[in-house]
Amino acid sequence: MASHALTLDDRAYAEQRDIRLLGFLFFLISDSIFFGSLIFAYLYLRNAAPVWPPPGIERPDVYLAAVNSIVLFGSGVTMHVAMEGMRRDRRGQFVGFIVATIVLGTLFVSGQIYEYWHILPVTKWAATTFGASFYTLTGMHGFHVSVGVIFLITVLIQTLRGTYTKDRHFGLTAATLYWHFVDIIWVALFFLFYVY
Amino acid sequence: MDAHIIERIIALIGAIVVALFALKALREEWPKKNLDDHVTKIMMGLLTIGCLIVIIVAIGFAGRA
Amino acid sequence: MATIELAHPASHIHPAPEGFVRKYIFSLDHKVIAVQYFITSGLFFVLAGLLAELIRVQLMQPNNTVLDPATFNEAFSVHGSAMVWLVVIPILTGGFGNLIMPLQIGARDVAFPWLNMLSFWLFPPAGILLFGSFLLGAPQAGWTEYPPISVLASPGTSMWCAAIFLIGVSSTITGLNFLVTIIKMRAPGMTWTRMPLFVWASAVTAFLNFIATANLSISLAVLFIQRTFHVPFYDETRGGSPVLWQHMFWFYSHPAVYIMILPAFGIVSEIIPTMVRRPIFGYKAIAYSSVAIALVSFMVWAHHMFTSGLAQWIQLPFMIMTMIVAIPTGVKVFSWVASLWGGRIRFTSPLLFVLGFLSTFTFGGITGVMLASVPADVHEHGTYFIVAHLHYVLFGGSMFGVFAGLYYWWPKMTGRMLDERLGKIHFWLMFVAFNCTFLPMHWLGLLGMPRRVATYDPIYWHTNLFVSISAFVLGASMLLFAYNAIHSARYGKRAGPNPWGARTLEWMIPSPPPYYNFKELPVVLSGPYDYGKPLPYRDVDPDMIEAAAMPAY
Repeated sequence: MASHALTLDDRAYAEQRDIRLLGFLFFLISDSIFFGSLIFAYLYLRNAAPVWPPPGIERPDVYLAAVNSIVLFGSGVTMHVAMEGMRRDRRGQFVGFIVATIVLGTLFVSGQIYEYWHILPVTKWAATTFGASFYTLTGMHGFHVSVGVIFLITVLIQTLRGTYTKDRHFGLTAATLYWHFVDIIWVALFFLFYVY
Repeated sequence: MDAHIIERIIALIGAIVVALFALKALREEWPKKNLDDHVTKIMMGLLTIGCLIVIIVAIGFAGRA
Repeated sequence: MATIELAHPASHIHPAPEGFVRKYIFSLDHKVIAVQYFITSGLFFVLAGLLAELIRVQLMQPNNTVLDPATFNEAFSVHGSAMVWLVVIPILTGGFGNLIMPLQIGARDVAFPWLNMLSFWLFPPAGILLFGSFLLGAPQAGWTEYPPISVLASPGTSMWCAAIFLIGVSSTITGLNFLVTIIKMRAPGMTWTRMPLFVWASAVTAFLNFIATANLSISLAVLFIQRTFHVPFYDETRGGSPVLWQHMFWFYSHPAVYIMILPAFGIVSEIIPTMVRRPIFGYKAIAYSSVAIALVSFMVWAHHMFTSGLAQWIQLPFMIMTMIVAIPTGVKVFSWVASLWGGRIRFTSPLLFVLGFLSTFTFGGITGVMLASVPADVHEHGTYFIVAHLHYVLFGGSMFGVFAGLYYWWPKMTGRMLDERLGKIHFWLMFVAFNCTFLPMHWLGLLGMPRRVATYDPIYWHTNLFVSISAFVLGASMLLFAYNAIHSARYGKRAGPNPWGARTLEWMIPSPPPYYNFKELPVVLSGPYDYGKPLPYRDVDPDMIEAAAMPAY
């Protein structure tokens, strides 16, 4: 679609873009159902357990997770600024802030891996229902973030190649929405696992 | 324990900064009418709520170490 | 009326695909993809049907030894899984949805043709994985695969998980694709209330597809990781719960049964006005009741779990919601009957299958309301009463609907008519054999015969024998359709664009349609069922107008 987009006239492009946007939003909705299902499973298991966390498991460190959350939320803001840069035709702003987003996203995933390794070993995944729900959910989320980082790198490369313009950059719009989506899921997960 | 204090301070300051930027973005985007702009506004709002949760945790009102 | 915008996202005609592979194997054309779905589902229908016949052979005698119990378990598990996921859902959404929906809205293709092709190509590997599970030991816990059996037994269950996961991805993508198509790519002038009812059905089904199926994918993924990494989601010895699987599975699978019936409802809503040449009664009632069914379908799942130890205060609302969900369906049935009432009905093959549908599906719906009642369900759950109910709605409903649609749209798809006399014989044989097979199962169940058993108490013997023989006749009746289909390719009467004299857009183009569907995109001026009034399309070929006024059959 990328280079094809530049050949369409304005109205045809706008229609194509609307179609793709709707499709992408439906995809994000179905992805939310994905997470919703797992969250249901977590809440069900937690409710069924006589004591939570189960004996032998300590709750993960909430303060480290809080810092990690800020890293991710911050990346949401930098993503928005990058998008503004594209919309206002400021290449420098766009490239700078998308790189910042990629760095912050990678930092988040690293923070998760650090937590899995040092604070709450992954060997506990199969030990209890706590491990089961925690690792499956946060792991699924971490996977989504990693895919998002790859998506952003691809968008960056495409921009450097000149595929997107100030008015025609649907790939970037999709990447931004995806990134925000992943961010919001984390708001829910942080609350459900570290606060509640 | 020391590590916790540093983490809490970073989390608190970071959350305030990010929340302010998110609210600023929300205010700028407010008049826009496109579907993806509406979604962005919702996302920014929820992001702010996320920052609020982090602030509450960092101050110590919720969450366990 | 203001000027109607004529330009349209896909209003330009791109060049025709070249080469055998691009035209027939990796085709982006929704009509070719539809045929691919029909052929593949047809193959799995035969395989799953043979499994059913095998089951009936075993059940001809009370303590038969044709199949040992484990193999019997595998047979009914794969039969059910294949019929639900490899036959009914793909034929109705991938087959009819792909073939007819874009034509009926006046589009040149779906919103995302490449994703459409991907959706199809996920399907054969899924089927191979599912049937391939026999090599490792097919799943044995029924198509519902409750833990702990699904966790502990049968290595092939992991293949089953993977297979259904692939189908789930395929369904989700198709649902997304179709809903965007219907929302964004209707012909100018086609408002929601001027859409054919099959399109309404497709839209609602698409919505159910992409919302509910994601949930199934997660349930399967979790079962898979439980089996592989021993993570304790469904293991009650380590804090998990088998009831969790049931909740997660049925939250998808109940909407899934509506995915399996709504397109059939749409097909019936198309055939009736054509064969009576009258406007359909209650267009809006039928259209909006589909939406009501979809929404309520998410609120009834636990009626499959009334014997799983749920607290009584939970069971009651599900019982009430289940009874409520029957109401919009009843609205449809009354509307269809009212559409036929007092009309001059042309008893063509499609209409006969519609009548078969109406009788058997309504019957199945009634037994469904019986089952909605918790005390009745506690007695009937896990018995042949359920088997009877599900086959009346899925075979009597969906499959009769499928055959109605096949006879109706065969001329559009292939350019040839199916033989009417053979069609009528097929219908009567199938209808009688179907009722002889599944009606007795109601009383078998009420008398206490459990389902999913390879051997049974000899007091049920003669009824089972009768059922088995009827089932063999039912299977044989399908051969008539196969023969008809093959025979028509060479000897079938050539169909023009509109042999039935219908008024929806797919009948305004040649049979079979050219790859670009419409030379000029139509402009729609009113609804498609106003027989007696002029055709509601601007700039339509005069030949088409004549064909719509004077049906050949």
